[in-house]
Amino acid sequence: MRTKKTLFVFSTLLMSSSLMFAGSVTGKVTYTGTPAKQKPIDMSKEPSCAKQHATPITGENVVTGANNSLENVVVYVSAGANDDGKVPSQAVTYDQKGCQYVPHVLPMHTNQELKISNSDQTSHNIHPLAKVNQEWNKSQPPGTPPITQKYEKEEFIPVKCNIHPWMHGYFVVLKTNHYDVSKSGGEFKLPDLPPGKYTLTAWHEDYGTQTADVTITGAESKDVNFTFKAKAY
Amino acid sequence: MRVWAPSHGYPKPRQNGSFLAAAFVLLFLILSASPSANALPAFARKYGLRCSACHESWPMLNNFGQKFKDNGYQLMNEHDSPIWQNPGYWPVTFRIVPLWHRLSSGKQVVDTAAGGSSVGQNEQRITSSGFDLSGLDFHTGGTLEKNFSFYVLPSSDATASFHFETVMARLDNVFNSPWLNVKLGKFELDNLLSEKRILTLTGNGGIYQLYHFVPVGDGNIFGQMGDNQLGLEIMGHSYNDRTRYSVSLLSTSDGQVGLPYGAQSYSTFITGSQAFDAGKLGLQRLGFYAMAGQAPTSWLTSGGPNAAIAGSGTQNKNFSREGFVGQFYFGQHFDVQLVTQHGQDSAWFGQGYGDLIDGVAVNNNTPGTTLAAGSRSPTWNGILVEPHYVYSPQLIFLARYETIRMSQQSTPGTRSDLGNITTYTVGYRYNPFMTSRAGFAWHNEFNLFHQTGTAPLTGSNINSSEVLTGFDFDF
Amino acid sequence: MNRSKRYLLLTAFGAALVGGLGVQAVAQDVPTIDPKPSVVVRPIESHIGNTVGHSESAKSDYKRYCAGCHGTYGDGNGENAVWIEPKPRDFTIATFKCRSTPTGTLPTDEDLYNTLVRGITNSNMPAWNTFTKQQRADLVAYIKIFSPRWDKEKPGQPIQIPAEPPVTMDSIAHGKALFTKLECWKCHGPHGEGDGPSAATLTDSKDQPIRPYNFALAKDDSRFKCGVTNRDIYRIFMTGVDGTPMPSFADVIQPNDAWDLVHFLRTLQVHRHGKETEVLSTAHGVIPPYVDKNPPPANPAPAENKAPGGGQE
Repeated sequence: MRTKKTLFVFSTLLMSSSLMFAGSVTGKVTYTGTPAKQKPIDMSKEPSCAKQHATPITGENVVTGANNSLENVVVYVSAGANDDGKVPSQAVTYDQKGCQYVPHVLPMHTNQELKISNSDQTSHNIHPLAKVNQEWNKSQPPGTPPITQKYEKEEFIPVKCNIHPWMHGYFVVLKTNHYDVSKSGGEFKLPDLPPGKYTLTAWHEDYGTQTADVTITGAESKDVNFTFKAKAY
Repeated sequence: MRVWAPSHGYPKPRQNGSFLAAAFVLLFLILSASPSANALPAFARKYGLRCSACHESWPMLNNFGQKFKDNGYQLMNEHDSPIWQNPGYWPVTFRIVPLWHRLSSGKQVVDTAAGGSSVGQNEQRITSSGFDLSGLDFHTGGTLEKNFSFYVLPSSDATASFHFETVMARLDNVFNSPWLNVKLGKFELDNLLSEKRILTLTGNGGIYQLYHFVPVGDGNIFGQMGDNQLGLEIMGHSYNDRTRYSVSLLSTSDGQVGLPYGAQSYSTFITGSQAFDAGKLGLQRLGFYAMAGQAPTSWLTSGGPNAAIAGSGTQNKNFSREGFVGQFYFGQHFDVQLVTQHGQDSAWFGQGYGDLIDGVAVNNNTPGTTLAAGSRSPTWNGILVEPHYVYSPQLIFLARYETIRMSQQSTPGTRSDLGNITTYTVGYRYNPFMTSRAGFAWHNEFNLFHQTGTAPLTGSNINSSEVLTGFDFDF
Repeated sequence: MNRSKRYLLLTAFGAALVGGLGVQAVAQDVPTIDPKPSVVVRPIESHIGNTVGHSESAKSDYKRYCAGCHGTYGDGNGENAVWIEPKPRDFTIATFKCRSTPTGTLPTDEDLYNTLVRGITNSNMPAWNTFTKQQRADLVAYIKIFSPRWDKEKPGQPIQIPAEPPVTMDSIAHGKALFTKLECWKCHGPHGEGDGPSAATLTDSKDQPIRPYNFALAKDDSRFKCGVTNRDIYRIFMTGVDGTPMPSFADVIQPNDAWDLVHFLRTLQVHRHGKETEVLSTAHGVIPPYVDKNPPPANPAPAENKAPGGGQE
């Protein structure tokens, strides 16, 4: 009994100490140049979706904000993190709402449960165009329960709905849990990084990837920024 | 006295000086029997299939190619009509064969001294070699509309003198059934082992002797199942082409246009075959053919006893050719093609009645004519064995043994083996590349030909040989 | 990645140099602009009934019949690929249109065998029914060498198809209601003529334009890409046509409801003679509105298509 207790205390200490010394990376994603103008989406053929949008919407391939900030960029630890296979038990969710994908880009760990739901009053078909993983294509009429899936291998998978050709998103299947998607203002944060050397990769669906090396020595917060060159087309 | 050896388009030394007229006829027939393998890169281009998909070795068909042909040049995918074709499709194919050959013909009649035959003649072997050219074929064919197809083949000899080798239209899958297809025009008979798709090119090896045999002195040229004929054919097959039949009604004209022969002379040609799945050995096919026809022996004349008037032939007499066909496969590399023949002509033909208009026959069955006493129907048997070793779709080795033996001569007392033919052919064809845009084969072949007792002067045996190398290409 | 060896599929010529399994060609030294996909030549079997197919035996047949379109490396890049439409199947990704198995899973050997026998209508893939059974089984085994998925995954479990109920007007009417509700018409058009609002935008998984099936063009001798019979139609929409925009409806249609949809789809084939069109013509071509005889319990969630199948007893 006593031994066990000691072990428990010891491991608790160990855990808290590693957390105590964990660092983080924060930063901003920006672009230079002039991004192509996003095409307006004509949803008139799908009135049930069109009425959900007060103002006409555009494609979400490139979403920018003030000060040249760039959203929907996946920043993740591509080398140095040793959490491959530590699959979170909670599922990631992907919704179809107003004939758009929410979120537009969804990172997940390999083999993590993925729940896809349809909040619209119209049928969608969810068609992730996987090449490394299995390609499947399922119909999801309104009111059906979420589709549950998993992806076994690392891959950037474009997702589309063939019924609504403007619908387009991405599943990003990673071998790590250290990832974030740049939000409004281009900001991202990767917390809970124990001391070590890491390679960060920032991926944008139109502008490609960039990498940066970062070393975390203790409970510090490192600043890493990424700047993408915008494509004019 | 005459070697029946329609050649392959390039000029061939005459065998006999004393039958000038017959030689002319021969030349005429030679031209009509020029190479016309129905291999179409146009089809390959249309469908994006390699030559090898339809040809065991181009131009010889495999089972899949036979099915494509039997469906009226259709894959039956609703993708056949011209509207579906890609821009690279052009429905015409050219075929020509530049070659080098060495020909050695035995027992040629030669004057013993300058001054002509009056001085004296003997028989000598003439051997010559050189570069040469075959004729040129323009193949065009395909679908006009779903289940309507056509094939037109203007073919020339080496001097660009053209004739229509094939002109026909097809109506396929009548009543949505593959069992009923109709063909009208001038076409190749439904020979499973197609002479138009023969893999050999020499003068004597480039034809199937069985398909052209005529006994010595016989006046009937119309039993040549190797020649394209004019008529109507009804054929059918199972969906997977394992079972096939065909029935055709033909003019007895050996494919000549213009009604030159009998006033009313028709022939029929019937085939049937069944293929069996023999597991790892492959598909085995067994079939039969039968040709039964009538040809005229009596002619109206104008300007001389043998100056026959075209289309005036009457007094039809019978002839028949029948046999078995086998296509045996032993795995993916080895196969044997087999054809047998039992042939019989009426005694009238055997006695030199028949095709007077071309001078092949020498007698005219005018009213009151009687056959010489004891005349019999010339009868013979033959067999053709052709093994193939298909090393790869690009390289095929082949051999052929053909023999035809007279079993009954028309005139009693004639030596029983007169006119017998035995011929051996070996060769290989190598396709250095394999695409669907064009066909190219480097062809090498050697042929030995033997005929008994037909040397013009001495009546001894004739032995001839030919070695040939060339590029057989179509595009 | 630098260290990874490159395996090449060797054709007949190469095989003459190195026999046996797992043939490796050292190709690292040759700079290639467009590296060939890696293929390991390894023996794979297929099982069609009692017939066992062997990939090694099909090498020559593949080259003879298939490679012109599907490519020596099975990647659908044969020399004819540029000319033909729709494009030949890419075996390296192991996604197949005609399956009895759920979407995303590998097809069974029989599925591939049946495709080989049947051919794919409206494409350049002919019916290879002149081959012997053994030849076809060997080819089925051969096309599996191109994707490692065949080593790691098992084919999916074929979907169960219940016996077909009789064709009735009820069944057709319910099928029509499903056709509307499941929005089949968005692509296939309100009359199944392939002219729905999204039809013009469709592309397959290789970004090639693709047309939805036009039911109205069908004649008595017409086929579907993946079959001819009512069971085949059932299978097609339940398993989906992978690699194309046609999704699987297996999760959203109850087995018996699916037969109703089959019966309705047949009535869209207006030029084809069948029992469905007969039933329709006796009703003078009018499909009555569908009335659900077993309405779902009160206060249903939007789960309207979970309604028990109507149209049958």
